[in-house]
Amino acid sequence: MRLVILTLFCLLLSGTAGVAAYFLPVVVAGVGQTGQTVVVPPSDSPGEKVTPTPSTSPGAPFTVLLLGSDDDSKFNADHVLTQSMILVRVDPAGKHVTMMSIPRDLWVPLSTGGSAKIDAAYAYGGAGAAIATVQRNFHVHIDEYAWVGLKGLIKMIDLLGGVDLFITNPVLDDAYPDDINGGFLYGYKTVAVLPGAQHLDGSHALQYVRSRHNDINGDFGRSARQQEVLLAMKVKASTLNAADLPDIVNALKGEFKTSMGLDRVRSLLSVASGFDLANVKQIVLYAPFYTNYGPQISGQSVIYPHWPQILAVTRENFP
Amino acid sequence: MILRRLSAILFLPLMIAFGSGAYLYLGSLKSKVVKTRADLPTVTKPRLVLPGTMFVVQDGRLFKLKDGGFTEIGTVGDWSQPTLTPDHTRLVAVLRSGYSSDLYLLDLDGHVLKRLTKNDSRIVDYNHWAFYPRVSPDGSTLFYSYDGPKHVDSAPGDDLSIWSMPLNGSQYQARRRTDPYWYTGGDVSPVPLAGTAVLFVQHSIDPSTSVHSQIRLQTRLGDLVGKPLTSLADDCSQPALSPDGTQLAMICTGGKQSARLEVAPFNGTSLGPARVLLEGGLYASPAWSPDGQALAYFAPSGAAGHFELWWLAVPVVATPSPTPTATPAHAPSAGGAASSIVVPSLPSTPVPVQVTQGVDLTATSPPAWY
Repeated sequence: MRLVILTLFCLLLSGTAGVAAYFLPVVVAGVGQTGQTVVVPPSDSPGEKVTPTPSTSPGAPFTVLLLGSDDDSKFNADHVLTQSMILVRVDPAGKHVTMMSIPRDLWVPLSTGGSAKIDAAYAYGGAGAAIATVQRNFHVHIDEYAWVGLKGLIKMIDLLGGVDLFITNPVLDDAYPDDINGGFLYGYKTVAVLPGAQHLDGSHALQYVRSRHNDINGDFGRSARQQEVLLAMKVKASTLNAADLPDIVNALKGEFKTSMGLDRVRSLLSVASGFDLANVKQIVLYAPFYTNYGPQISGQSVIYPHWPQILAVTRENFP
Repeated sequence: MILRRLSAILFLPLMIAFGSGAYLYLGSLKSKVVKTRADLPTVTKPRLVLPGTMFVVQDGRLFKLKDGGFTEIGTVGDWSQPTLTPDHTRLVAVLRSGYSSDLYLLDLDGHVLKRLTKNDSRIVDYNHWAFYPRVSPDGSTLFYSYDGPKHVDSAPGDDLSIWSMPLNGSQYQARRRTDPYWYTGGDVSPVPLAGTAVLFVQHSIDPSTSVHSQIRLQTRLGDLVGKPLTSLADDCSQPALSPDGTQLAMICTGGKQSARLEVAPFNGTSLGPARVLLEGGLYASPAWSPDGQALAYFAPSGAAGHFELWWLAVPVVATPSPTPTATPAHAPSAGGAASSIVVPSLPSTPVPVQVTQGVDLTATSPPAWY
């Protein structure tokens, strides 16, 4: 009898060790990359810091600020611009998602003081400053954030086996940044992504979402493309399960940070598999209605907000 | 005591094996989307033996599909968009290299016979793209999309125009056939017709700055924009003309992220009412069978799948009628129906057949089929 109990105990122990070894990278990443503490200044007085109160009861709607950055050597670590800023409101009960892209060149007061293009908020004050700047200007409450670097996006899409998209028109760019694989960081190259339904791997998907020089809508067009790719990733991600977590963590190593804990990441994956693309509302703040191009500031091309129109949209979609 | 030690020694490998087994078992539970990687077509067996010979592309490699089996052809490189000469003796294909792409004349085993364009440059800005080669029905002229002229004194943009050049001539004899909308990516997918006419896809911008695709017909040289055959709202592209030239297959999206595979009768100047053969998927690059009775196209096989080759019998066309009699499921609004157009009978529901499995063919390279 003792031998049987001992045998079972040993097998349980070794099985647990096997499971632990499998999920070890997830645990390490869970400690290092998820559940990031964010300090958000609560009022218009920069410097006053209070820990945010991320929401609410399970199943209640929540809003995530998605941030995407160049993370190359042009910048110091954690002081990168966020070329992509997308507010995503997830309503798990209603199975509805709203995505709103914030133009990177939008000229706004920053939570850290002064005014600048909104993509600089993260560079000056990290995720807390980016969240506070968006909250104050757009009058929305942000529960969580997630930041991903370009290389992380490439690896994640490759991990998903690529994305399938219908591309409406050729995306040709003669001045596409050639900064991913080292070399001259300010170099550029030509890229051509052809139209039609197709499968894109990570690097080609990045070309599609990053190119902007030959788009009549400039950064707005790029924002719309970013949302398309996110939705295509959602389609692929809907088949992921817990056994895929170590691969995901490995792909995003050092390229991903979020305030969400593993529980919320898991519930987000479960929400992603549960709703239909028809229940996704996409918003891009196109000029000239929501914004307009204006005079350059210090040699920078900037976009000026039309706050009444923008705030009407945020009131309706991010209550 | 010795027995205990012996048991412990025997137990240790068992525990290691069990722990490893648990680890490997979890690995086997990974979702299909993470595990699935494309196979080489040559190691797969198509589910359907298609008539004739077809050329397709996977990740820059050219493959010939004949008698139910794939053979890789050609040399190493980033090849795409093979197209046949009308006598079915040669191919023209695109080779991407660095920051440019060029057109090459190949034999049917993929050996290079001639480089047709030279678009590469050591200066990034002087590189050019050439895509979508198509040879005219008389075999004399090569049509293609080319990004010239480039924008000057403006943002570094780049749009494709339709160009043509003698197939046996040189790029210096090329002439621009269309004038693209700037900042749309330009004009693509030329389909040469008899004489000097050509179908092509134009991308344009509406007042709300949405970009649309539209199939247009240019009947004479010098007419740089041609006339529309489909409406802007339908967002149609990827035209494929049947071997007898009477039907046009195309992909239409209506601006959405899902497509319709449509076929419309064509009389050389206008399109008749279009029939929707398939809708609600990511359909791409239709190509007609040599007998004009079926279409091949690409579409993913499920969320975790790859772009596979599919085959679809096109419902039989009714006897030609001088006037349209059928109620169209969907009618292109710009071209309208002409009195001499053949109107197909209302189709029974066509059933697509998946030909390949797990190969992820390049969906922007239409099959070349004879």
